[in-house]
Amino acid sequence: MIRCRELAELLTSDRLRDASLRVRVEARLHLWMCRHCARLARQMEQLRAAARKLAYSFGPTEAETPGEGLEERLMRKLSRKA
Amino acid sequence: MSDSRQADMRTLGFLRARDPQTLAALVQDHARPLYRAARGMGFRDDEAEDLVQDVFATFLETLDRFEGRSQVRTWLFGIFHRKVFERRRESQREERHDPIDEVFESRFDANGKWVRPPADLHQILESKEIGRVIEECLNGLPTAQREVFVLREMECAGTEEICKILGISATNMSVLLHRARARLRECIESKGWGRK
Repeated sequence: MIRCRELAELLTSDRLRDASLRVRVEARLHLWMCRHCARLARQMEQLRAAARKLAYSFGPTEAETPGEGLEERLMRKLSRKA
Repeated sequence: MSDSRQADMRTLGFLRARDPQTLAALVQDHARPLYRAARGMGFRDDEAEDLVQDVFATFLETLDRFEGRSQVRTWLFGIFHRKVFERRRESQREERHDPIDEVFESRFDANGKWVRPPADLHQILESKEIGRVIEECLNGLPTAQREVFVLREMECAGTEEICKILGISATNMSVLLHRARARLRECIESKGWGRK
């Protein structure tokens, strides 16, 4: 049976989905029984969601700002160089 | 040849002919992802814009060397990666030993069971402040780990693409992502929000 340390590393390195079927089944059973590993798995998902939200906070999404600012400035500077 | 590869080859033909509309479309498609990644790497907004401009300028200068073996996005992020390390003046080599490995190991006993289980971070991870906390914690990551985290978790790039961009193996990428996420988790926990 997979141990907490091994599973924790699979979770933090995001390799669980690429693991063998046997490992994935063992991991699922382990996560069902071990609240600490289940917590770590949840935290990795929450961290990913929060990081994606942060990335989009760095600039408005494409759909909201078609052709605004950044692209036009870049085109002007690149055209000057060409 | 795949459809996207064919489209890239057509795009390259137009760019080599200095077609302004194709250049505008290229900038439209890739400027913001590159800009977000630059901000994720800790560059201020003006620095990030300057870096993105530099990436496009280098792309146009080196068009003739691009043979279409990778996608345009991968090629652009490969240039981005080299520019980041040039500006940081850091070695691209990941240290074999990283102190985070010991911190990670110290959480388990000899049988691989938790002795220091993860604290409850639900409150902070779901709070409005988590973005600021992650940004702060990202500053404590070595550049290579930060870049893998930004590409994978913020730009949703797949393993194969990240390995091509950074010129590393899938095993190295896993080690970098493991260290980045373990380090970020420890950092968030150390902010005092976690309760056992």
